[in-house]
Parts: sequence; structure tokens; C-alpha cells
Amino acid sequence: MKLDRRSFLRTSAVAGATFAAAPFIRTAPPGRKFRTALIGCGWWGKNILKEAMASGRCQTVALADVDATALEVAADQVNGLSGDTPKTYKDYRELLAREKPDVVIIATPDHWHALNTIAAVNAGAHVFVEKPTGHTVNESRAMLKAVRDSGRVAQIGLHRRIGPHHVSGMKFLKSGAVGEVGMVRVFAHGGGDAEKPTLNEEPPDGMDWDFWCGPAPLRPFNKKIHPGGWRNYLDYANGQLGDWGVHWLDQVMWWSGDAPLKRVFCAGGRPVRGVPVLNAKEQTSDAPDHQVATYEFEKFTCVWEHRRFADNNSEKHKIGAYFYGTKGVLHLGWRDGWTFYPSAKSGKIEHENAQLQEPDGHNLALLWADFITAIDEHRTPTANIELAHRATVLPLLGMVSWRVGRSLAWDATTERVVGDPEANRLLSRPYRAPWIYPQA
Amino acid sequence: MRFKPPIPLMGLRSAVVMFAVFCAAAQASDWPQWRGPDRNGISAEKNWLDQWPAAGPAIAWRASVGLGASSFVVGNGRVYTMGHADGKDTVFCFEATSGKPLWKHSYPAELGDKFFEGGTTGTPTLDGDRLVALSRWGDAFCFEAATGKIIWSVNVQKETGCPVPDWGFTGAPLVLDGRLILNVGEAGLALDKSTGKVLWKSAAKNAGYSTPLPVELNGRSLVVLGSSKSYLAVDPVDGKEAWRAPWVTEYGVNAADPIVSGGKMFISTGYGKGAALFALGASTPEEVWRVRSFRTQLNAAVLHDGHLYGVDGDTTSIASLKCLEFATGKELWAHKDFRTGAVSMADGRLIALSGTGTLMIAPASPTGFTPTASAKLLDGKCWAAPVLANGLIYCRNTSGSVVVVDGRKK
Repeated sequence: MKLDRRSFLRTSAVAGATFAAAPFIRTAPPGRKFRTALIGCGWWGKNILKEAMASGRCQTVALADVDATALEVAADQVNGLSGDTPKTYKDYRELLAREKPDVVIIATPDHWHALNTIAAVNAGAHVFVEKPTGHTVNESRAMLKAVRDSGRVAQIGLHRRIGPHHVSGMKFLKSGAVGEVGMVRVFAHGGGDAEKPTLNEEPPDGMDWDFWCGPAPLRPFNKKIHPGGWRNYLDYANGQLGDWGVHWLDQVMWWSGDAPLKRVFCAGGRPVRGVPVLNAKEQTSDAPDHQVATYEFEKFTCVWEHRRFADNNSEKHKIGAYFYGTKGVLHLGWRDGWTFYPSAKSGKIEHENAQLQEPDGHNLALLWADFITAIDEHRTPTANIELAHRATVLPLLGMVSWRVGRSLAWDATTERVVGDPEANRLLSRPYRAPWIYPQA
Repeated sequence: MRFKPPIPLMGLRSAVVMFAVFCAAAQASDWPQWRGPDRNGISAEKNWLDQWPAAGPAIAWRASVGLGASSFVVGNGRVYTMGHADGKDTVFCFEATSGKPLWKHSYPAELGDKFFEGGTTGTPTLDGDRLVALSRWGDAFCFEAATGKIIWSVNVQKETGCPVPDWGFTGAPLVLDGRLILNVGEAGLALDKSTGKVLWKSAAKNAGYSTPLPVELNGRSLVVLGSSKSYLAVDPVDGKEAWRAPWVTEYGVNAADPIVSGGKMFISTGYGKGAALFALGASTPEEVWRVRSFRTQLNAAVLHDGHLYGVDGDTTSIASLKCLEFATGKELWAHKDFRTGAVSMADGRLIALSGTGTLMIAPASPTGFTPTASAKLLDGKCWAAPVLANGLIYCRNTSGSVVVVDGRKK
């Protein structure tokens, strides 16, 4: 019932369960406390904010959400965990103007990342924003420019840049133990079935649904979109490729030293989920139920695959990256850590377990600590916006290729598709008034 | 509380007659509805084993019923539960002592795996020779309890236009004075129990997930429901709202049943919310105390001799079993790593099924949790309350394995 792998208080039993802040905060390190605000008070935003509170370096001064109930719940949870009494705002712009936070966490859906981030750094805040950077390529470019111009620290939620088994797996890969890698396969598979339309409804009391949709198209409210389902709606996100794809393609960028993409082709569709439905009465999601994208680089080829049906045990790993080298195959995974399968018959399988924060299986605490240190030391954070922008562009280009149905030649220097005006138009999208598409 | 045993109020002779009538209709220790005969999680049963041999308890039978967190109801030698498989929900009826399948009814249903594995979440209700069940998506059925023949069925979502809350309709049906009261809409829905026709309905807003609880307050019969943003009371005759206690829980998950005793109402919900006691009068409930440290996401606690025994924590946390003083909210003990299981009670003893499938019997005591019997019965997650009926303890996990412990004294 009502059960939710995504509960805020996953450590509630450990947390000591009092109104007082003391038991929850791991340490009380030196250094001033940052006036911290959260924009987007859903499950994941509160997960990040919890790390901020647990770090002992943040005072939660304000929360923004377009849903008054979400705000009330979040403010109560913050008070329970830290004793702070944050002010609540519907409009993030008003929050930024009035509270002048030092640090802003942004965990809105993808279609809001650019406007939220640009406004926050322009208001002088350091930003922790979830991946992907933008919903379209030029939003990401505008975010990158705004962060560069502001001189603020921006950490993007690519915790796989800092997760211990990713760091060691990457070290193993770069040591030459896998040999010359000529091909990479990145993937995220799961189960699923045909999708029936769900009835549209009135938005919940106290929720400004028009504001939630913001610059994106205004769809009728539907429980399948919110809470928790918007990734499957291309108006607000980019499906599995725009979610898991960012993490794993980022690992490819990390390994390859930011090799410039030359060409991409992506095919996919919804043969199992079915033709998308959207009418006044009901709707389905519209993200592809499977996609295959081929990314061509100078020295290797990378294939992305996702499939959201036919879940089974025929494959050893369901999520992650296979690096195919002359000495064997390295699988870099999630909960299954990393495993090296040597080509030589006499070779030994090598393995390292994942070290993750459960129940959600991430490494947010490490990423948050790195963010705070970067602010303290005026240095670039580990999952900075430069690399996150590059990692985001790959799946977004895959989506453009999928939409136009042809391969795209990419100029990684100018960040334009070569000789394809239609595809280049899809690097941006029209915004719904009064919102204005940000310029790089 | 309502449903106090009527016998002490009568003369001995009428009591004997009443008892005979009762026995004819049902065995003394049946569990015909969610949280038992008195809807408090407590059975009146006394003659059952609270200790097992070293090798573990005798197992009467096992079955597989599909995905879900539905609990059991037991009556007239039959036990009922629900589960989901292959795009269908199924209502199962087994012979209570042997597990022999007697009938089942399947109907198309979504898996509904939003943030969890999905499957059925509600529990059917026995009403004499009838069984009523409500699916997450609003399909209400009235069956002949003995045969599974459908007497009537209606989709209450379609009938009323009330939205399906995020995790579907979950509260078990309440049969009360000819009405079937469901936690559907902002403040409940009543059907004519013999026809399924709508008698009254409430605003087309999200329901919560608790089971409608009948109470008697100041001489007035009311039904208390967990709604999406409050716990509220309505008149079962016309659905008119009597009062509400605002109570906002993340995702609208007001799920654990309220506990009403001595003119006070105890509420606890998960997601970091906590618990509170309210004094109930004619109008708005007044908060007596509130604590953060008792957060029941799923199955409500049991109240025994002024103490609450229940779960603190969510499915995603390492939830504890705790004892809380009803009058003050003071925590008396915590048994760690219980996870989001459930507790029922009989004869002063807790029947506690941990969230990971260990069944424990322990005296209900404010001084500590000391099981007299303990056995790992099931793997996976156990979110359904264990049910003791006529010496048998019915347990299941969310993937649908049913294990029935034979605790009858030979």
C-alpha cells in the first residue's frame, strides 16, 4: 500500500527520533553554516536536503514548491530532522529574492532545471542541481554559461562520479587491465507491459499545476505524471535515456577523457507500451519503451540500450556499462559493483562490491561533502557542470536523432548538428508564455 | 468503543440464548473482518499455544495467492484473502483448517507497482453468509461466502467519479446497519449492502488508506476515516461530516487505522510524521499530545491496558516495534529491526509478524518485548497483519506465500 521505497525518513530508526537536531547530525565540523534552500520538495529533493542537514554545515532557511501540501510536509520533516523552521514559497523567484540563500538545491523535473539554476546562480547562490542539466541541449548550454559567468559552484547530481566502486572501477579500467577498449555498451533494462490510459483529474487542492508545467506544455493533471511519473512524459523529461542514460554515458565520458562525439543514431518506440494517448479524458505516458542509440567516437563505438519489458534472468547484468577490451570485459554496475571477466582462460574474475547508501543505492553524502568542500576551497566540484553538460548532451542528441529518424553528425566544438537544420531546431524548444527560453 | 460485548448488559438467560445464536452463526474465535471482531486487532481467543517446540511450530498448510499485502478474514470454517498475478486480482477462499481451495474469483486489475511491487492491498470483509471485497481500482464485489457466487458487483470509482488515490483504494469494507461503508472519496462512500446501490457519497477528492472505523461517541454513532489530509468522522446514516482532525502526511498516506478509546483518538502515520492523541468532543478534536518518534506507515498498533504496541518506521527504513503509553505518548521500549510488519493480539499476548517474516509471540508488557516463541516463517516482505482464528495463525508475505501455523492445543 502506500508503500514507498522512496520515503524521506529511511534512517528514521537510526536518527533517534526526536525534535532535537543533535542526534541526526553526524558531526559538527568547523566552518560557517550555509543558508540553504530547496526548490522542488519531492522525494529526491528531500533526499538531497537530508544530506545537507546531515553534513552539519547547512541551515535550511527556505523551501519552494508549487504544491502547498508538499511544502507543508517538507517543512515538517525538516523541522523533525534538524529543528530548523524554513520559510515556504510557491515561487522560487520570490524565495531567491527574499531569502538570498548561500546554497540552493534544485530537484524539480528536468524541464525546470535551466530556469531554476540560472536564476539561483544569478542570485548569488551555489547550486546543487539534479541531472540531467537541461531538457534540451541549448538549455544546458545556457546553464553552463550562467554558472561560468557567476563564478558560483555548481554540483550536478552525478553521484556515480564519486561512488567508491565507480572510482575504483575506473582506476582499474584506466590501468590497462582491460586492454585496448574498442566498444562500450551502456544499458538499463527492466520489466513492463502494455499501458492503459489513466483518467485525468483535477490537480490536488493547493497545487498550482500550471506553474508545475511552467515553460513546458500544459498537459491535463494525471497521477501517472505527478508524483513520481514525469520522467515518462517527454514534455517534462526524456524517458529512460534521459535518466539512466545520463549516468552511464557520463561514465563513458569519464573513461574516454571526454572524447568528442562524431555521430549518433537512435531507434526505438513503444511497441509494447502502445501508441501514446492524450485527450481531455485520459492519457498515457509517451516515452519510448525501448531505445537503442549508437554513438560513434574516433576510437570506439558506444551503444545505449534500454528495454522496459521482457524482464528476465537471461543476462548477467541488467544495468550498467560493459567496456569491451582486448584483455576482457569490465562490467561497471549499480548494486552489483564492478566485475572484470578476463578473456584469457587462465585469467581470474575480479570483482568489487558496490558501496552505496541504501535503500536508494546512491552516494549522495559523498557528493554533498565534495560540494561543500569545493565551496570552502573555491575549487571546481567533482561532478561539475562542465562534465555534466557533456554527459547530458549525449542522451539529448540521442532523443533528437530518434525524433527525426536519422543519424546526426555532431560538431562537438560548436555543439551543432552538421548540415541538418531540423535537428538543430530540436536542440531548443518553444517555451510556453510567459517563460522565455534561456540563451547561452 | 463500539462493539463492546453485549452480554454483560443482559440477564443471564438472554445471554445464553444470545451465545447459542452466535455459535450457530460463527465459531467463537472467528476473525470476520480487518483487525478482528472488535476492529482493534485483538481476538478474544484464549486457548492457543504461545510456545512452540524447538523445531518450530506445526504448519497446518501453505498456499500461494499472488502479489499483495492483503490480510485474512476467517469465518464458518473458511478463510479468505486476495492476491494479484498476470494482470488479474483473485479473491481466494480456502477451508480454514486444511487449506483446501473452495473457490476463487479473478477479475482484470492493474499491477499498480508505483514505488513498490504492486498487487492487492485491501482485505475483504465477511458479513454472515456474504463476503465483500474492494479492489484498488474500485471494483466492489459481494459474494456468497460459501460458493463465491457474485450477488452484486459495481465499480465505485466509475459509479461516483471519485479519484483513485495514488496507491488505490485500500481500506477494508465496513458493514454497518445494512450499509457498506468504504474509504472512497474525501469522506467515505456508503452502498446498500444488499444491492450495491450508492446511498451517499462524499466529495470527489482523494481518499486515504485506512479502514472505516465505527465508534460510539457521546451517544452518537460515527465512522472515522483516514482521508488524504485529515482523519475525519462522518455520520454513517447520511455521510454528514461531524468533525475532522487535520493531518497531512506525505503523499496523502493516512493509512494506519485510528485507535479510539475513552473519548480520545490516537493517530500515527509514517514519512517522518509521527503520532498524536486527540480529545474528541462535539466539534474539532483537540490535540492532547504529539510525538515524532512513533511513525506507523502501514498497520495500526494494538491498544492493551493503556499501552500501544506497534510499528515505528517506513518500509524503506529499519522500522522498530515500540510500546507507547496511550495517555502520554511516552515511549517505554523499542524492539529494533522489526521492520514494517504488523501486530495483533489475543489473551494478553502480542502476535507479531516482522517485516521480514519472523513470527513472534510475546506477553504484551510495558516493561519489554520478550518472545516466548519465535520462528522465521517467510522470506521477502511481510506487510499483512497476522491473524489468529480458532488456534490457527495465518501469515503471508507480499509475494503471496501463505503459511498457516497450527497453534491449537491438542
